[in-house]
Amino acid sequence: MSRDPLRDVLPLLEVRPARVVRAVVLGALALGCSVGLAAVSAWLIARASQMPPVLTLSIAVVTVRACGVGRGVLRYLERLASHDVALGGMAALRANLYDALARGPVTGVVGLRRGDLLARVGADVDAVGDVVVRSIVPAGVAVVVGLGSVALVGAFLPTAALALLGCLLLTGVLAPWLAARASATTEAAGAEARAEVTARTLGLLEEGQQLRVAGRLDAEVAALRAADARLTQAGDDGARTAGVSAAIGAGAQTLSVVAALALGMVALHAGGSLAPVELAVVVLTPLAVFEVTSVLPGAAVQLRRSREAAARLAALLPASSVPERPLSRPATDAAGDVVLDGVAAGWPGRDGEAAPPAVTGVDLMLAPGSVHALVGPSGVGKTTLLMTAAGLLPPRSGSVSGDASTLFLAEDGHVFDTTVLENLRVARGDVTPAQARAVLATVGLTAWLDALPDGLDTMLGGGATTVSGGERRRLLVARGLLSPARVLLVDEPAEHLDPEAADAVVGALVQHARTSGRAVVLATHRLAAAQDADEVLLLGTPDGGGPAGVVARGRHAELMRDVPAYAWAAGQER
Amino acid sequence: MVRPLDPRLLQRARAARRYVVLTAGLGLASALAIVAQALLVAWLLGGLVTHGSVPGTTAVRALGGLGVVVAVRAVVAWAQERYAQKAAAQTVAELRSQVVTHAVALGPRWATGARQAEVATLATRGLDDLEPYLVRYLPSLLLTALVTPAVLVVLLGLDWVSFVVCLVTLPLVPLFMWLVGVMTQGTSERRLGVVQRLGAQVLDLLAGLPTLRAFGRESGPGARVRALGEASKKATVSTLRVAFLSGMVLELLTTLSVAVVAVAVGLRLVDGGMSLTTGLAVIMLAPEVYLPLRAVGAQFHASTDGLAAASSAFAVLETPAGSDAEGVLAPDSSVRALVLDGVSVRAGERGIDAPSSLSARIVFGSGVAGAGRVVVLRGPSGSGKSTAVQVMLGLLRPDAGQVFLEVSGPGGSGADRVALQDLDISWWWRQVAWVPQRPAIAPGRLRDVVTGGLDVDDAALDAAASTTGLDSVVRTLADGWGTRVGLGGVGLSVGQRQRVALTAALLAGADRPVVVLDEPTAHLDAAGEQVVLDTVRAWRDAGLTVVVVAHRESLVALADQVVDVAARSLEGVGA
Repeated sequence: MSRDPLRDVLPLLEVRPARVVRAVVLGALALGCSVGLAAVSAWLIARASQMPPVLTLSIAVVTVRACGVGRGVLRYLERLASHDVALGGMAALRANLYDALARGPVTGVVGLRRGDLLARVGADVDAVGDVVVRSIVPAGVAVVVGLGSVALVGAFLPTAALALLGCLLLTGVLAPWLAARASATTEAAGAEARAEVTARTLGLLEEGQQLRVAGRLDAEVAALRAADARLTQAGDDGARTAGVSAAIGAGAQTLSVVAALALGMVALHAGGSLAPVELAVVVLTPLAVFEVTSVLPGAAVQLRRSREAAARLAALLPASSVPERPLSRPATDAAGDVVLDGVAAGWPGRDGEAAPPAVTGVDLMLAPGSVHALVGPSGVGKTTLLMTAAGLLPPRSGSVSGDASTLFLAEDGHVFDTTVLENLRVARGDVTPAQARAVLATVGLTAWLDALPDGLDTMLGGGATTVSGGERRRLLVARGLLSPARVLLVDEPAEHLDPEAADAVVGALVQHARTSGRAVVLATHRLAAAQDADEVLLLGTPDGGGPAGVVARGRHAELMRDVPAYAWAAGQER
Repeated sequence: MVRPLDPRLLQRARAARRYVVLTAGLGLASALAIVAQALLVAWLLGGLVTHGSVPGTTAVRALGGLGVVVAVRAVVAWAQERYAQKAAAQTVAELRSQVVTHAVALGPRWATGARQAEVATLATRGLDDLEPYLVRYLPSLLLTALVTPAVLVVLLGLDWVSFVVCLVTLPLVPLFMWLVGVMTQGTSERRLGVVQRLGAQVLDLLAGLPTLRAFGRESGPGARVRALGEASKKATVSTLRVAFLSGMVLELLTTLSVAVVAVAVGLRLVDGGMSLTTGLAVIMLAPEVYLPLRAVGAQFHASTDGLAAASSAFAVLETPAGSDAEGVLAPDSSVRALVLDGVSVRAGERGIDAPSSLSARIVFGSGVAGAGRVVVLRGPSGSGKSTAVQVMLGLLRPDAGQVFLEVSGPGGSGADRVALQDLDISWWWRQVAWVPQRPAIAPGRLRDVVTGGLDVDDAALDAAASTTGLDSVVRTLADGWGTRVGLGGVGLSVGQRQRVALTAALLAGADRPVVVLDEPTAHLDAAGEQVVLDTVRAWRDAGLTVVVVAHRESLVALADQVVDVAARSLEGVGA
């Protein structure tokens, strides 16, 4: 690792240093009260044993009581101050992340929906924010209080101060370093085992009934146990190092007391400047000091985790902070053509390595009011071609030109955790309830809408009303129909729908094109959806492999007549 | 109020039992070390302060004793850290396999929808919450039970006044924490709800970013994310202001008590009512009385999360499995037919029976080549076709009606009717190859996965693969039949998995005379569908019985028998 990713990500927290300093000062005062309590009560008791007039002790008595109260109150204020900094930082980081992703290349965003990546982004933001509360502030407090205590002891007996400093370095530097190394070992060794445990657990829960019938259940449960045993073993190696770290932490406190006693005894014997009462302070102060270093192993582990979280977040961020030229064309009302000229479409390769394009040599003219259908087997590259036509991916060769606004309606479009109406207003901010009802009727969702508890104001997504696959599909198409964009590129409009509902949705899109002068492109693996298109493009892969291309094009009826494979496939759908 | 240590945890997990014993032992050792340290330091320091010096042997003995204390404390801390993690991991593993096994035993109906997601979360990440509970909270709890009383007893021996101060203030700590907790619980929970909602909204906007960008509306919500973040921060800080109060009470009471003890000791020393050595021992021991309790307070969240995870696990484990009595019959003759007699299954919350009153006699093939049968279950979606399959497989007991098998009697004469629930169900399962919509593929080399350990020659393998179209998949794999699939291997698409499962079922042949296919053509294009048709024909030609759930005409056209499945609304029945 050449550069600490935390350095790249921490500025996005927009933390003001003064706030951090305030938290550190409050924390240092709180723990200072602990140390003060120990030091002053040691002096008080040693001095009292010499039976002086009670009045000479009154300042010490008051100080002890003040320290007793101050610690709780100051610690409370410190926790509030440091959490305030951390939470503000997390909020800023989320906002900055959103801004960066909204501006950056679209390829960075599309992957977000995959798997649990999004949930991990949430957890990673929290982990980076936690570094303030769990690492930075405790480390600052430890330095201030540790050095202060060393200075206090040093004022009476410099050699004991050196011993204390040495023990503090053991618990404050060596033990945290070992703890961080232990957790790194555990996580690295355990990552594979953990992934296997998760995969096997989910597999058993999802496929348990099949495994029972197939007589494989016991073997699979045994395999899960074995994977869990490997996970335990992985943790065991780290635990050995963590054990050493804990042993250092626990032993060092007593060790520093022993050192102070031995050195103090020698100083008293030598008849130096050390008074017996001062010896009590020198010996008992260290007992309280080690509380400040006890949290540092945890702080070091958190620092390492936050650093890894920061590295994952940094990988999401666009390489340059300069906003990229927006690829998608502005949503104006200007009608016009979009022309694809010899377009090759493909995803940009990872790490600059050029992956071969998925589809090549596509010429297409999308005129107002036209309807095109892209058909072909799953995985042939229909979606990639649509995204390229929409300007969301740069063409690998050839050109996409024209100034009409385009809209790509993804198959997995997002239904937001808000009302039905607000979900439709994603297309256009000024959709009226009447327009919303009309468009839902067009896609056959009237019955669904009537069954919703609060009609258009029903909350969708999240823990609220669940939306079935087919309802969701139609809702997304309805949203597309409301968009002002002049060219609609719709991916699999008929997926998850039974044949009648599929025909209704496709019919609504065709009707929309004819009456409003929008150009519509449908990508589908259902050939029946292609019947009303002005032109059907059949995509296919050549026999010898290589990128797909247009195998045949023409009206549905022509392809039925001329292309046997097309006719056969269409016949199978019935 | 939840119990701090759920006895069921000790009953269910052996690792947890051993761990509690070990931690208790280590707790005792550390109590001894703490007391010894205080007494030795006080003895030596008291002598030094009072007399200016101590005899050499005394000093050597005291310092030597303290050296032993250093070693004991280091060893105790090492052992605790070393074994806590391992015991926690073992406990989690034990509970995980119990939860998973039991969830599967509860049948196909139990773990569906939201509950499936819940159990999956519990068994993967949820149970991990037990680790901080076991590693941090439980030791603090045991130390509170062991060290605190031990130190109190020593205090009583040294100075009864300090003992009384500690004894009186000690119960105040949990009392005040409880009071603060009760007073603030409502507010914290309400505010926590707000915080979670705000956090979810930000993630929702991030998830919807591709959609927003497609619509060209990505710039608007940026300000909203910022505003939501600001609101979330405000709400959280005000929650924390309340939540941290109990922490403050804890610190205030414990530190103040220590200060009170110190001042009281000081004032009695001035009167000459106490020796310096005793006084020093008391002020060193007083904080140790409260220390374990403070650790318990600091780890309180670990305890609630961990106990919540444990009780969710016990809730799963204590759900009684439906099958009250396992059947034992295992006929040694072949099945002639399966009879469904008025089978109805209530469909969850939908208020319908799906299937409703399904009666059919499904005649099986004889096993002789050319005498196979294809039986199609047909009906609109939601009518209960897959449920009917689960009933036939004995995975689900119908709410009404019976399922029988007709097996040929001894010597092939006549036919006996045996209720499915009286059979040893694993005997029935050994007769059946079931290919569900998403077939499970065992991880391993493709050839082993397909043959399932049977001895199959290459010619038979290739023949089966060419029937199901698996041969074309194998050709695209770098290592052919030797390719590792599943965990850590090549991922297969749904269509490819289906071909693997069909090939495996085909090769099982006479070992599994009944084949059950659930919607084998769903999600397949026309070419994929042709493969399924060919495979079904191959089975019939081999004399097997194929029961298939289908709604496509092409499959229905193949059928020797069609069973129509229908659902019925329960509301209509009552009227």
